[in-house]
Amino acid sequence: MNADRFGLGWRPRLAAGILANLDRIDIVEVIADDYFRASRHERRPLRTLAAQTPVTLHGVSLGLASAVPVETKRLDDMARLCGEVTPEFWSEHLAFVRGGGIEIGHLAAPPRTDATIEGALANLARAKQIVGVAPQVENVATLIDPPASDRDEAAWLSAIIRNSESKLLLDLHNLYANSLNFHFNSKEFIERVPREGIETIHLAGGKWIGRDGAQRLLDDHLHDVPDPVYELLEEVAARAPQPLTVILERDGNFPSIESLLDQLDRARQAVRRGRERLTPAPGVAA
Amino acid sequence: MSQSRLEVFLARIYVDQTAREKFLADPRAEATRAGLAPHEIEDVVNIDRDGLELFAYSLEHKRAHKYGRKKNHHS
Repeated sequence: MNADRFGLGWRPRLAAGILANLDRIDIVEVIADDYFRASRHERRPLRTLAAQTPVTLHGVSLGLASAVPVETKRLDDMARLCGEVTPEFWSEHLAFVRGGGIEIGHLAAPPRTDATIEGALANLARAKQIVGVAPQVENVATLIDPPASDRDEAAWLSAIIRNSESKLLLDLHNLYANSLNFHFNSKEFIERVPREGIETIHLAGGKWIGRDGAQRLLDDHLHDVPDPVYELLEEVAARAPQPLTVILERDGNFPSIESLLDQLDRARQAVRRGRERLTPAPGVAA
Repeated sequence: MSQSRLEVFLARIYVDQTAREKFLADPRAEATRAGLAPHEIEDVVNIDRDGLELFAYSLEHKRAHKYGRKKNHHS
């Protein structure tokens, strides 16, 4: 099995380094929202990039995990961009990002209830209908324990994956941060979500914020991937036999491209270790 | 329908400092005024206050940097 892929998130500051190292980068993830308002001419470099290397599109503002339907125009924007770029797949977060005309300005974890599961399922069905392909969906990091929740994150996320056509983009730093902030076992979380549903992995880093005694880990994408996140990656690779796409995200405080490529190499090593431990799912012949 | 009211309520206290301060001063009254269902009122009365303050802080921090660089809310 040698189909795992390792790539970087496309950011303008990393462009030159990425283009100079495509022999070490299997796939590039582009933030779709950065191109929604761009002209066709302004999108040309993106089309050129997609012609050179596999590209995925990653949305950050649809607000799929909401009881409120996603606006059609936002899905139309995604559909148009996907039509132009023909990415390998597209993805979005299981978050709500606005309410009553108020833009939160970030990905907020919704209350984990039947209502948000049903809302997310309805939004995912509309997204597939309009874009043509269902998005992969990503777990989000949260600094606040989502109010009015009646189940934990693994149960909520699993219900959406099991009842939709979407695959899971499992962000391991988001998982790591939530597990530290809200005191649950991240490896047990990995055991509870549908292993066959995992297709893509995000890696990133963060920092501790808050006063003594009430600190929480912020997923800021401004720091290197911490060791425990590589350990989680190994766990996923040991449990999910299907090919994985692993993307390293970095949004600022940029190190050298060599440092990012080294982190990708560490990810490759973690996946290799996991593959060596791979055991078949119960009931599946080895 | 109540769920969408809850999302509006949360969006407001996450983003609007005045609304947040009023809520923290009297959570039950503010949640009731927002028309939340009884069980939602009980839940937001017991909100994770440390998390609320930190999330609000992180949002303000992002807004403060918004003009200095491109969006940094990718996750």
